[in-house]
This record gives sequence, C-alpha cells and structure tokens, in this order.
Amino acid sequence: MPRRREDGDGDRLSSNPEAPKGAAPPPPAAPAPPPAKDTFTVVFDGRPVEVPKNVNLIEAANLAGIEIPHFCFHPRLSVVGQCRMCLVEIEGMPKIQAACTTPLKDGLSVKTTTERVRQSRAATMEFLLINHPLDCPICDQAGECTLQDNSFGYGNQLSEYDEQKRQYPSFDRTPIGPHVIADMTRCIQCTRCIRFCQEIAGTSELTFLDRGGRTLVWTHAGKPLANEWSACAADVCPVGALTAREFRFRKRVWYLEKTPSVCPGCNIGCNISIESKDDTVYRFLPRLNPKVNDYWLCDYGRFLSESLNLRDVEKVSLREGSKVSTPTVPVAIDRIAREIRAALDSKGPASVLFLGSAHLSNEENFLLRKLADHLQCPNRDVVVDAGGPRRIKSQTEWLKGEEAAANFRGARDMGMTPGPGGFGLEAVLGGKGSPDVLFVADAAFGAAANDGEKVPALRRARFLAVAARTENALTRAADVVLPAASLAEKEGTFTNLQGRVQKFERAFLAPPPVRAHWELILLLANALGYGDRSWTPSDLRAQIAAEVKGYARAAEPGIEGGLLLKKGDFPWKGAP
Amino acid sequence: MLSSTGSRRTPEVERVLTARIGRKDSRSIDTYLADGGYAAWKKVLTGGGWTPQQLTEEVKKSGLRGRGGAGFPTGMKWGFIPKDTKGKPIYLLCNADESEPGTFKDRLLMEEDPHQVIEGILLSSYAIACRDAYLYIRGEFYEGARILNRAVEEAYAKGFLGEKILGSSYALDLTIHRGAGAYICGEETGLIESLEGKRGQPRIKPPFPAVSGVFNCPTIVNNVETLACVVHIVNRGADWFAKIGRNEKNTGPKLYCLSGHVNRPGVYEAAMGLPLKELIFGQEYGRGMKDGRGIKAVIPGGASANMLTAAEIEDCPLDFDGVAAKGSMLGSAAIIVINEDTCIVDAARNLSKFFSHESCGQCTPCREGTPWLYKVLDRIESGEGRAEDLDLLERICNQMANGMTICVFADAAIAPPLSSVRKFREEYRHHVEQKRCLVGAKTEMATA
Repeated sequence: MPRRREDGDGDRLSSNPEAPKGAAPPPPAAPAPPPAKDTFTVVFDGRPVEVPKNVNLIEAANLAGIEIPHFCFHPRLSVVGQCRMCLVEIEGMPKIQAACTTPLKDGLSVKTTTERVRQSRAATMEFLLINHPLDCPICDQAGECTLQDNSFGYGNQLSEYDEQKRQYPSFDRTPIGPHVIADMTRCIQCTRCIRFCQEIAGTSELTFLDRGGRTLVWTHAGKPLANEWSACAADVCPVGALTAREFRFRKRVWYLEKTPSVCPGCNIGCNISIESKDDTVYRFLPRLNPKVNDYWLCDYGRFLSESLNLRDVEKVSLREGSKVSTPTVPVAIDRIAREIRAALDSKGPASVLFLGSAHLSNEENFLLRKLADHLQCPNRDVVVDAGGPRRIKSQTEWLKGEEAAANFRGARDMGMTPGPGGFGLEAVLGGKGSPDVLFVADAAFGAAANDGEKVPALRRARFLAVAARTENALTRAADVVLPAASLAEKEGTFTNLQGRVQKFERAFLAPPPVRAHWELILLLANALGYGDRSWTPSDLRAQIAAEVKGYARAAEPGIEGGLLLKKGDFPWKGAP
Repeated sequence: MLSSTGSRRTPEVERVLTARIGRKDSRSIDTYLADGGYAAWKKVLTGGGWTPQQLTEEVKKSGLRGRGGAGFPTGMKWGFIPKDTKGKPIYLLCNADESEPGTFKDRLLMEEDPHQVIEGILLSSYAIACRDAYLYIRGEFYEGARILNRAVEEAYAKGFLGEKILGSSYALDLTIHRGAGAYICGEETGLIESLEGKRGQPRIKPPFPAVSGVFNCPTIVNNVETLACVVHIVNRGADWFAKIGRNEKNTGPKLYCLSGHVNRPGVYEAAMGLPLKELIFGQEYGRGMKDGRGIKAVIPGGASANMLTAAEIEDCPLDFDGVAAKGSMLGSAAIIVINEDTCIVDAARNLSKFFSHESCGQCTPCREGTPWLYKVLDRIESGEGRAEDLDLLERICNQMANGMTICVFADAAIAPPLSSVRKFREEYRHHVEQKRCLVGAKTEMATA
C-alpha cells in the first residue's frame, strides 16, 4: 500500500540533540517521585495497552500497532469527526463510534476488527467513492492518495451506484492561488485544508460553499489562497482535490526516491524530504519534526527545490589572461595549491583569505577552517544575507528565520571567523584588507558575489579561486572555477537557529567532474599537506564532535542515520 | 393554508396554549395583560417569589417533555447546567427554527400570541439563571420575527425585560435572531453554530449544550411550545399539568399539526395522548378523509418519522410513548395523512428530495447517501427501477444511520424511504415491474 506523506511515513526523523548550553553541571539526582500514572490503559481488541493521556484515540491505536483508517483527522488540526471513516465499537456504547471524537479514558475498551466495524468502514468508503471520479490514472495524487489506500484496505471493491456522478463544472482544475490547483470533483469534503488555513496559517482563505451533496471547498470570494504556507493545504489534502502547481504532472510519485534533508532556505532548518528521480530533484516535502517545522514547510523553501537542478558550471574553467582552459579537477586544485603556497612563502600567512559559506555544511566549513589553521592563516570568514523573515510553526511555537542561508550559525561555530591579526570579507570590501590569494568555497555565498560594485574589490586579489554550481559575477571574474555539487548531491549537517544540528543525506551523486564542496576542500587540503584522502563527512563529524565546543554529540547515531518512522507513527514516538 | 381559525377547542381539555388565539388583538401586550398575561412572571419574581430551584422543581414535577421532537424531560434538561459554570454566563436559546415538514404549531404561537412565548422564555431564563436569552426564528418567518420584535419592545417598555425586572434584582435581555432558512439549523447544535454566525453544522456531542453551547457557555435549548407550557405550569401548578394526558410520562396539552388528505387540516390543541384516528376523523379535528378516500399511510411526527400503515393507526395514542410503541415517533406532532390514491414511491421521493437538499454536508454517509436515496427513488418513480433497487434502498438506509453520522439528520432522512419500502414493498415492486404506479395516477403529496 502506498505510503501517506502527512503521517511522516517512510520519512526519517533526526533525533536532534540540543547543543549543550555552556558547561552547566548536570542537575542533582532528584528523589524518586511517587509513581504517578501518566498513562491510560486502553484495551484494543482485548489487548490492554498503556498510552499517553494527551493523544487522540486514533493516535493511541497507532501506538498499539493498530491502524484506524481516517481522512479528516490530522494530529495538528482540530477534530471534526466528519469523514466517518475511523468508526470503531466502544464497549458500553450501543452505536458505532468515530474513534477521533471518542475521548480517551482509563479502561476504554475498543474493538477495531468486528464485522460491524468492517461493514461500517466499507459503507463510508462506498459513500465516498460514489461521486469520486475514480480517475486515478490521470490524477496526480495517485500513489500517495489516502482514498486509494483506504479503498484497498477497507472498501468493498464493488459499488451499486449507477447514477450520474457529481460534477463541479466551474470548480475543477482551477488555480486558487499561486501554488495550489483545486479540482472539486475529487474532493471528499474532509475540511483539512480549511482547518489548516484557519488554525495553522491563521489566514482562513478557504471555506465550504453550498451544502449537502453540493458542498465544495473554495476560497472566500476574490481572495486567493496565498498564505506563506499555501502548498501545505495540498499536503494535508488526502486526495487529488488540491495539488501543488509546480509538481503537478511532473512525475508519478511512486518513481520518486525520498531522501531526508534540510531546507536550504533560511536558518530555521525545516526538515524536508528531497524527492528525486534520475538525478533530478522533483520536489521538497516537509519531513515531520515536531521541534522544528512539525508537518509544515513554507512555500518559499518548498519551491527552492527546482533551484537544485540548476547547473551552469559543469567543468573546471581556468583562466589565464584571455585564454580559458578546462583542466581536470586535480590539476586545477594543484594550481590553486601552488598559488596559495607561493603567496604564503612570499608574503606570509596573512596573504590568503579563505571564505566559507553559510550555505555549506558544518563539515565543509570545519575542514576549510582546519586547512587555514594548518597554514597558520588567520584570514577566514563567513557572511550571511538578511532574508525573509520566514515563519514556520513547530508543534509548540512559531519560529522566525531572518537569514537567507541555512548554516550561518554552524559555519561560525566551526570557526570561520577571522583569527588574531586576520581580516575578513568586510575588510576586503572596504579596501582595508587585500589578500594575494582568495579562495571562495561557495561562489553563491551571498548577494555580494553578484554585486557589480563588490566583486571588483574581491577581484583585487592576485589569484581568485571559487567553487560554484551557478554562474554569477564572481565566477565570471575568477581565475579558477571548480564545479561543485548541490544540496541534493552531498551529505552533511546544518546548525539551525535553535542550535539544532540536523543532518541531510545525499540523494544522488553529482555528475563527474562535479564534486561536493567538502571533496574539493579536502583535495585542496591534501595538496597543501593537510588531511587524509580517505576522510568522509562522517569522519569530519567525528572530528567536529571531538574539537568543537557544544558539538560533542554531533557524531551520534541519531544524527548519523536519522530514525526511520514506521507507517503512521506519530511524533512522540522516537522524536527528540 | 394555516390560519388562526384552524385551531379548535377540544372536548377533553380546554384550550390552554391556544386559548387567546382568535381573540381580537391577540398579539398586543394590552390584551395579553387583560387576559391575565405575565401573571406567572409576576408570581415568580415579586412578593416573596420563587427561587429558580423551586421553578425547576415545579417543571420537573409537571412531567413536561420537550415539544421540539425528542421529547426529553425539560426540567431534567435544565438540571444539566453545571453547578459551577466557572464564571461563564448561561444562555437560554429558544428554538423557533420550525422547519420539520408538516409542522406549523410554533409559527401559530409566535404570530398570534407572542407574549405567551416571551413569558415562557422569561420564566425559563429565570429558572436557569440566564442573563441573555435568544430566540432563533427561521428566516422564512419574516412576519413572526416582526411580531416578536414588537412584542419584545412592548415587554421592555412594561419592564418585564431589562434591568431590575419588576423591582427585583433579576435582569434579562432577549434577542430575536433570524436564521437564513436551513432545516439543519433546527438541530440544536446546528442552531447554536448558526446563532454564533457560523455555518449551520451540528457539533460533535458530547459536550452537550447544557455544558458547552452558545459561545461555548452552558446553554439550554428549548422549543417554542415547550416554553409556552412553562407559563401555564407556573400559573396553574404542576399537578394540574401532570393530570392532563394519557399517563404520567406524557403530560400536558399538546398542539397537533394535521395536514394531508383530510377535510380540515390545521393546528389542534388536545390533551397529550389523543388517539390518532380521533384527530383524523373527530368532528372537533380533521373531520375525516377528503372525498371519503381510505388511508394508505400516516406520518405521525413530521418528515423524520417512520410512516404508519392504516392498520397501525387503529389504536395509536398521539404521545411520545404511544407513537414510539408503533415504531415511529411523535416528533414535532406533525401528522401527515396520505390517502390511498397517493403513490407511496412518489411520497418517499418527495421527502427524500427534501432531505437531500437539506443535509449540511459534513458527514460522508449523509452528504452522499441522501442524494443517492433520492436518485434511486426518482428512478423507480419514473419507471426505470430495477428489481434489486428495493434491497439497495434498504442497504443505503442501513448504512447511513445509527452512529454513522454526527447528528441524527441521517436517521431522519432514512425514515420515509426505509419505512415505506418495508411497509409498502408490493407497491414498490409493482412500480419496478410495471414501470408505472399502482394507484394509476401520479399525485403530488400534500405536505403542510
């Protein structure tokens, strides 16, 4: 059965340890509190299970390993009990009950497998499907559609409905905002999208129109669905009624490979799943992390996905006078190393500037800083542009990201700040510092790299080497441009505004000769006599854990692999 | 078709609720006061007066059961207000969204004797310690709303409403709120949602309105007729009220809305438990079937009630338990009489169309099931039915009710098709096989 994305199925969830704050001693062991029971005992089909008190019965069943099918229930939205799919029998209640609206209490006895439950669920499925177009072959939701899943799981495969199906002639395949396309013939009136806009976004663009069998979801007159998280309305839609315009019809979802990653859009560091096929990124989906982005993702971050497919720099370019050549990466690296060595030998350690990037991982910035240390060069820096602000609602609070890159904090933590006697980017731009050799680890480090007034200041260096994926003023000015990988093509960690170290995995390999930034930096370090050719990001993480204050847990397995959530798992299980 | 003269004195019980109907200027406060109006209000509020608890006890003792349809004991409902409301105000909400097909009794009370309704609201508000009361009247009752609003103004002017009523410390405001014309807003939680300005959709229960109703505060929702009864319970005592009716569980005077193929349709007041046949044939009431035709079916409690066959109405007392014993319900006491010339499939189709139009659309089985029922019935009626359609009708009905939905709308919507297909299966089968109606002529069912 295809997986459901909103339940975090198949997603990985990093167990993100909080970076320890300072060196506070551990609190003294408190005397053991009286054993107060903070759980309820709920009997599922005769089997008693201890469940937390603050969960919904559907969630409690999930903890007990029992799936209660549902459409309208969502862990973060108000309970409306109207899809009538989660029907169960409750001991002592004569009528069949909706699980989502049944208050949890101690001793509750729930039957989920009786014939009556089976029939009731099949009845709801039949009602849901009589007016559904069943056009799965041309529906973009197919493969991740709850209606499909529950139909296979709980429906009778035949229906006696033989009438004209309901149509919404002027409400199908219509954009209702910049990112969402609505098709009301497929809608099952679960109101998740309406509730998302009311309760999470707080913007209430969507509403029910008309009533009874003619009920449809649409925007309030004249107002587009244009909040900052509008595509989440398509995420929570269990069927193909709301779909994201950018992804629609680009790829059948069952072909997509999911890779856990972190949104590069700002310093909130929303957990995402990069969905790719054949070395192409097709979309970002939010990946459940209750402490950061919960089930959500802002439109800005989500639709950065396409930018990962951009590649202007496909091979090395080495400029000598007016002659441009394309040597191999090792040859180009050797050339950079020679220039650095020459500068150091002739003008001393302060003649080289290593510029890191808030877009690069902790591992990459760390390695670059270690290289600078090795060369006793005090000039290293990292900058970040103001961005956003982007906002996202975690389970408990609103987070606000005001930086235009994901890892400024991490890059600084890795030591990418000018050392004693050293200078940084500001000095170069202000004319106060002038390196002989400038190594820019990420040519897209900020707006300055494409600023016609600032790039000449950087170009004052005798030798300018950059790693880049896309072309800009800086790459056009550089002596050497190394082809570098996208976020999807490498692994690493970012540190978000909360100090949470979050790992992103590699979705696919960059096409040769493109290399990940950390590979390029490592090659350069090797050429300059530092480091081991065999180092991987995981080795670098171990070094970070050993050396960088506050990062002692950065190499732990939770970070390393993430926790694989089982189908339908909810956040309190395995979540940090 | 209803006029104030449609109401008739009954031999068993004097007219109580409708006593003033037909009187000249019955709507004005002056005639109401002249006829002894607001005596109950004065009795409760002045000269020693009654405590709210006394009033509630009196209503409990009277055996008054809600006249809106469910027949829930009114005093007991009032008792469900939490003792400690945690600082929240308590609301009284008078349900005047009279929209059950075949029902037109509350309209009569509101349009012809509005002060009786207002006095009932005053008394009940006092009993539950309510400071702000609402009367939600269905949008189509424009005239009723106009009359009530004028009556409320009169009551304010006379000091029966407002601050320090009749010199006591009690204060009450009453607001008349017009709905926009949706059947589902007669369901008490749909009513509350609508009153709050939201889409009229029933809420999940529990919590019940007595705990969390209007603006999430404790709320008592009572029908117009129920509240009118309270006036007379205070005036004449619980014992007097309890003695009217067939037994102690079905007490008081009752308004019956008689419609369909009878000689004299209208609202009739009688003691609870009036025999159904008496209502149809009695000289004081319906005066028999129009043109002397026979009875095919009777719907005893509005469109939501199961149809009864001619045999079943033989000894059917019209009270809550009497009709329930026949497998139907008294509901809003809307008795719709269907003669033998009426096509029962068409009758069921007509009612199904209504329910399909009025489903609020939030629960899947009701939203999808009600139009399906209508489509199948329409198919049978138009001669395109199939043999398996009869079982299909039953199956759809059984898949919609008994906990499948949030409110009982679906349970109501299945009553006409399910009861008719079970009780008149031969007629349905004839329809399917012969592609035409057994009774030969397609007649429109007269509902109200």
